Amino acid sequence: MSSIKEKFNQISPSEFFYSNRDLAGFSNPTRSLYTAVREFVENALDACDQKGILPDVHLTIKAVDPDKSDPKPYILTVKDNGPGIDAEHIPLAFGTVLYGSKFGLKQARGMFGLGATMAILYGQITTNKPVTVKSSVDGATQDTFELLLDIQKNKPVIVKHTTKDISKTGLSVSICLEGDYSKAGNKIRDYVYETSLITPYASITFDDPKEQKFSHPRFVKEIPPPPTIIRPHPHGIDVERIRRMIVESQFEIPIIDDAMIEKVRKDLGLSVKNLSFTVIMDKGKKKWKTLPRQVRVVIALMSFLKMDFEKLNKIRIEDIDMPNKKLFYWDFGDSQSKSVDMDPEGQYYKQLTNTVQGEPLTTFLTKRFQRIGPTTAVKFAEFAGFKPEKRMGTLSNQELVNLSDSLQKFEDFMAPDSSCLAPLGEAPLEKGIKKFFNPDFTSVVQRSASAYSGFPFIIEMGIAYGGDIKSGGPHVYRYANRIPLLYDEGSDVVLKVVNDTDWGRYKVKGEPPFIIVSHICSTRIPYKTAGKENVADRPEIERELRLGLQLLSRKLAAYMSKRGQADMAKKRANLYAKYLPQIAEFCTELAGKKKEPNYKKLLEENAVESKQITEEEENKIGNK
Amino acid sequence: MATSKKEKTKIKERSKKADKKQKNILEMLKSHGAKIYDDLENGQFPKFSIPSRSVSNIVYDKKLRQYILGTNAAVRSSRNSAQLRSFTQLMWLAFFANRLTHEKKSSTLRDVYYSSQAFAIEFEDQSESDNIIVDLEAVTSKPREDFHIFPEERSSIFGDLTIEYTIPGYEGKTMNLSNHPDGYSIGPSLTTAELVDTSAEIVIAIEKGGLFTRFVEEQVDKKFKSIIINTGGQAPRSTRTLLKRLHEEMKLPVIVLTDGDVYGEHIAMVIKSGSANAAHLRELTVPDAKWVGVWATDIEKYKLPTIPMTESDIKRCYDLQKDPRYQDGIWKKELDVFLKLKRKAELEAFSKYGLTNITDKYLPQKLELAKSL
Repeated sequence: MSSIKEKFNQISPSEFFYSNRDLAGFSNPTRSLYTAVREFVENALDACDQKGILPDVHLTIKAVDPDKSDPKPYILTVKDNGPGIDAEHIPLAFGTVLYGSKFGLKQARGMFGLGATMAILYGQITTNKPVTVKSSVDGATQDTFELLLDIQKNKPVIVKHTTKDISKTGLSVSICLEGDYSKAGNKIRDYVYETSLITPYASITFDDPKEQKFSHPRFVKEIPPPPTIIRPHPHGIDVERIRRMIVESQFEIPIIDDAMIEKVRKDLGLSVKNLSFTVIMDKGKKKWKTLPRQVRVVIALMSFLKMDFEKLNKIRIEDIDMPNKKLFYWDFGDSQSKSVDMDPEGQYYKQLTNTVQGEPLTTFLTKRFQRIGPTTAVKFAEFAGFKPEKRMGTLSNQELVNLSDSLQKFEDFMAPDSSCLAPLGEAPLEKGIKKFFNPDFTSVVQRSASAYSGFPFIIEMGIAYGGDIKSGGPHVYRYANRIPLLYDEGSDVVLKVVNDTDWGRYKVKGEPPFIIVSHICSTRIPYKTAGKENVADRPEIERELRLGLQLLSRKLAAYMSKRGQADMAKKRANLYAKYLPQIAEFCTELAGKKKEPNYKKLLEENAVESKQITEEEENKIGNK
Repeated sequence: MATSKKEKTKIKERSKKADKKQKNILEMLKSHGAKIYDDLENGQFPKFSIPSRSVSNIVYDKKLRQYILGTNAAVRSSRNSAQLRSFTQLMWLAFFANRLTHEKKSSTLRDVYYSSQAFAIEFEDQSESDNIIVDLEAVTSKPREDFHIFPEERSSIFGDLTIEYTIPGYEGKTMNLSNHPDGYSIGPSLTTAELVDTSAEIVIAIEKGGLFTRFVEEQVDKKFKSIIINTGGQAPRSTRTLLKRLHEEMKLPVIVLTDGDVYGEHIAMVIKSGSANAAHLRELTVPDAKWVGVWATDIEKYKLPTIPMTESDIKRCYDLQKDPRYQDGIWKKELDVFLKLKRKAELEAFSKYGLTNITDKYLPQKLELAKSL
């Protein structure tokens, strides 16, 4: 049994991903080129977002040998003006799988920076060329690394490392990989185009292998407020996660060696000479609040042992039996095990209990989860059938499962904190849509935050009609965490909601020129596949999408009916201009008159009337 | 043959009468035109009211013994952009009818449809222009024949009847309708002609051309002092107008002979009391006309060869049972018998007893019977 387990551990993450690269979107040269572009561009944008830098991203794809036919090797370079990466971290960050800085709970395009490493790995597998990383953190010197991955050992191999002077911060990553631009080109251009719509504060350029330049300058100067890292919501938790949190909250009894004693002495601000037990205790009491946990534990132990540093040096703590209030230790001098009783009153006993048995349930809940106050914590304990002061370290496996279940079921928790989300905002979204499509009508909405399974999310949507938009709509632009989703749209929840809509009800008929933009922001987007292309139909998300779309559709319907009225007025004016002269002609002969009646007055009045209507409608629409 | 002075005065009177009728029509059209002209001149959207021809507005008038339109009317306004097209079409038709009447030119429904194109008036198809013609009839309460719009001719007349033409080129010319054994088709010139003289004492309207020829051959006109009219199935409106005039101007009773089925019965009923389609007109009925056969009861009485009724025949029976005109008398009785027999017999069925049986035996009996109806 244990030997099998050992074998499992010996497979490195690199090896695992090497054999499962399809999962991450590297299934064929077309898809791989597209995925690699995405991963590097998204990393660049994420890096800039985190530091509040307006991003300048330059993407270049060049064929190694332009005369060869696809699929063939390409050099893909993505350069940004972000904060760069410290030289010491570069080999690990780009030369190992599962090394990353994006592990906190907040909205970002990528979760772990895994995809970029996958792209590097894919490039190395297909062309056997190293990745070139250029980085400057201080805007003065630039480190350039050429790296290969040792797949078996999941370790970087530095081929070359140079430094030179430079004037700007930023990161540039360049890989050589097998791709098929003739097939992937459309998607990549769409990706860059759609990314610039949802990232209006970024300037993105793309030099393609056919020497075409695509430039998307920024048109919004303010970067949206960055998300904050937050604690998890109880609804989004499972047993394994709780177990890890408990481990994080529990502490070993520190080993009391010379170094530890030295640390305690220093933290208490005591001089090096021998001090009596009482002096140490006095000082400890005074400074208690400012002391680190380890020091407090040592002082608590000393209080029960009634020993000074010298004596403490000659024993080893064996066991702390909290239920029987006994402290066992081994005395090196006497070479035997001894015990003392512990006084359960007072802060020292409490400190030890916390350390050995973990925090009480209520403290655990309020300190480690978002949006749980003491009252809710007590209520929950009652709901779940636990004593509020139940120590987390003493939970059995079964109790742990019960706790996890109850956390999911308890309905009185507040909705998840959405400060970890970074929606684009209504104004920039509207500005983007107007710039991209020059539409006759635009409306955007940002729904308030909601949650599915404890993960908060926000839906942003936009709708636009007419102008430069092609007919045959609705054309749907799907985004998740500021990433455009281009593949597999058939099975996507947004498409489902759009297709369920009876557009006739909203006065949209035929092959209308209109677009829908949807942006789902969440700490965890429920993608259906690892390729990050379509969002699963969680009922909570579907509901928010539906409500958002209904609101926008109603506004569109109001616009359409005004547009219809204006069209109608124009049509009517045309009708009068066509028929009134005929009526006049016929009735003149019928009435036996020579001169036609002066019907022009009617025409003019009518034209003025309908023109007024048109202008009024346009004003209304313009002011919205 | 010199015409006597008395005759000349009569002719003058008659042509005066025709002129007066034409003048009335022209006056009426002119007044409609003037009203629209004035509206336009005054900066008003012209409009007029059209009696509604919807089913809910068609009622049976027991006194008049025909269907008439109720009091519901719709306003057609040129302000309403949805009605602007049909308003203009109607305006044009009045204008066109005015020209036709003025120039005494005749035309057909189909002519009207094509004529519209010379004036840049659009009709989707002929049924749209036909509808506008009915609109004009409803607004003016005049049949379209008064505006010189006639149906395609398919019915004919034979017998001792002298007429005098009023159409251009023939004014004052007279004609006796017993000179040509194939009969005379009832077209615009006949419809507008004055009825001068007749020796006949009855008008026999018969449903079928074949029997009409037989009646002429067997000299029914002379033997029974009658004018024979072939209705060619359901009688066209010009034929119905002629029947009415023969009845009213020449004081002749009208009898109707049809096939022995529900459709035949209804042909007679339409001659008697009009159709719901023409509820807006009142000059098309002969309320005293009598249906003398072939009755359902005749089928058994004369042991006529029969054919079974079709499903649509039976459905038609049930439909007519709801009609207020079929609630009493022979109309109800015969309808009930048809339904009971579920069989029908054609006029030709009498040929079983010899080709002349119908004129020799059946007709005299029926003429005798008609006196008591």
